[in-house]
Amino acid sequence: MITKRYLITRSIYAIATTFVAIVINFLLPRLTPGNPAVTALATTYHYLPPGKLKLLESQFGLTNAPLYVQFETYFWNLLHGNLGFSFHYYPETVTQVIAQHLPWTLFLLGTATLISSFLGVVIGRITGWMSGTKGETTLSSIFIALTSLPYFWFAIILQLVLAVDLVINGFRFFPINGSYSVFVTPGVNLPFIISALRHSLLPLISIVVTAFPGFALTMRNTMVNLNKEDYITMAKAKGLRESHIVKKYAARNAVLPVSTHIVLAFGYIVAGAFFVEIVFGYQGIGYVLYEAVTSQDFPLTDGIFLVITLTVIIANFAADLLYAYLDPRVQLR
Amino acid sequence: MIGNYQNETEIKKKGGLVGSENLLVSLFRNKKSRAGLIVFVIFAFIGIVGPFLAPYSASYTGGANFQPPTNAHLLGTDYIGHDVLSWFLVGTGVSLYVGLTVALISVAIGSIVGLASGYYGGIVDSALMRVVDILLILPGFPLLVILSAYLPPTNTTTILILAILSWPFMSRVIRSQVLTLKERPFIKAAVLSGMSGSKIIFKEIFKHVMPLIAINTVYLMVAAIVAQAGLAFFGLGDLNSVNWGTSLYWAQTEDAVIYNAWWWIVPPGISIAVLGIAANLFGSGLTEVSGEKAGEI
Repeated sequence: MITKRYLITRSIYAIATTFVAIVINFLLPRLTPGNPAVTALATTYHYLPPGKLKLLESQFGLTNAPLYVQFETYFWNLLHGNLGFSFHYYPETVTQVIAQHLPWTLFLLGTATLISSFLGVVIGRITGWMSGTKGETTLSSIFIALTSLPYFWFAIILQLVLAVDLVINGFRFFPINGSYSVFVTPGVNLPFIISALRHSLLPLISIVVTAFPGFALTMRNTMVNLNKEDYITMAKAKGLRESHIVKKYAARNAVLPVSTHIVLAFGYIVAGAFFVEIVFGYQGIGYVLYEAVTSQDFPLTDGIFLVITLTVIIANFAADLLYAYLDPRVQLR
Repeated sequence: MIGNYQNETEIKKKGGLVGSENLLVSLFRNKKSRAGLIVFVIFAFIGIVGPFLAPYSASYTGGANFQPPTNAHLLGTDYIGHDVLSWFLVGTGVSLYVGLTVALISVAIGSIVGLASGYYGGIVDSALMRVVDILLILPGFPLLVILSAYLPPTNTTTILILAILSWPFMSRVIRSQVLTLKERPFIKAAVLSGMSGSKIIFKEIFKHVMPLIAINTVYLMVAAIVAQAGLAFFGLGDLNSVNWGTSLYWAQTEDAVIYNAWWWIVPPGISIAVLGIAANLFGSGLTEVSGEKAGEI
């Protein structure tokens, strides 16, 4: 049961955060030293073509009107999904570019989050129950080491070892980069799907291997703490089978804190996916953000920031509700 | 915002506390925290004397391109013949400097906010915690990217942006610790004896949150080093600066992987991982010594 009060407070937070993100997005191009239109042009031209400058300024919404009038126009455009034109992908609009590349990232993110949370819960359940044994201590140390690895560095190493070096009899197991082979035509056809899946394997592995150990450690710690609870002792005293206690008594309660961890870590997984996309030249939103940033494509950078921020805020909001539904106690805090 | 996530209930649990004066001694007695401290000292040493030990200058480009490790170049060379070892020795100091400065600034902000919020409560608390809540919901990395894209690309900018975004989580941790401390008899006695609020905070409460502050400093430092490396990898920040992040950025953009130049890629990543492990060891040692739980990265 979700109380009205809880629903309202969580909604207020989500809306307030969205508003803050929009305001940051609005103010940054206007408050930073120098004119972003001039900066953007300076990367391609040695002089400032006045016509282009005017055009860019109007695209940024940089007029001499008072700030609140500018905000009104900006907000109106935003509500209509109008984020301006991308410089880098001109004549495509920012909305078009994002719409093209977002599905790739959502696929990568969704699959990686699912696999790593599943692995985290399952492996953490096992290590939590055998805590204190030699095998468990070694495994936990390895997990701590894995969580300390920077995402992108691990991705580069995987690319080096599994894609570049792993060639047996002229057969390369994993493609080095890209999101699908140049020999297939994008669309709903089998060769394309297989090629896309094959290209997404290494990016997926990179995210999963660096993300799941953190979940496994949280699951382990919660299991260890739960082991001291009275109802576990009671279950043991009743003579219930060990596997039954783990599955039906301990693990069920341990999943809740782990799910909070997964939600909190979502922002990190997003960042991780971005890096992995850059390393593997995978054409998701992170790769586009990289291109936008390096080519000073400010409208595209702004647009991606907004879309990603909104996605994370919505995901957090949904998770808050789901969590409150699963564990009504959180609503009392 | 960067750094650790841990449910607060776990942080609230506490055992015996030690005073800050013998904290260092007991940290050195504990095996885990000693190992962590030793790693930090080694890196600090490399960071300080590294530039003097470097066999070549960072701007030296006399080596052959993509040359594997040899006696002349112990860690090989990169795409235009820089000596990788020299770059590493010079870069360590810069990376550590960025990490440490970010950690110190954000720990200062986080401690002040946490202490004030927890001790004074009321409107101060609600106002500060609303700001913290919003900063915690905003996804950190996209915010880092967009701020760095608009602001001038210098290491100082990177430090300031990271510091401003890093403190919210730890302020929460400190606040909840202060809330439990406030219920303890010795604080109540201090209040009754007429001590001023600021005096109670700095004389009584501060030494009890010291272990938490220490753990957070270490975690935030490592997190900041990773974040700076990440930003550099995105082509943001000062790319002319020699540090672990820019090394990896150039390795990526100049196709080190295709040339199989592992000697160029491995050192910065391993260093970050070792620092991360050291931070975790230090953290769990400190937890054992002080009974404070501050969470893993």
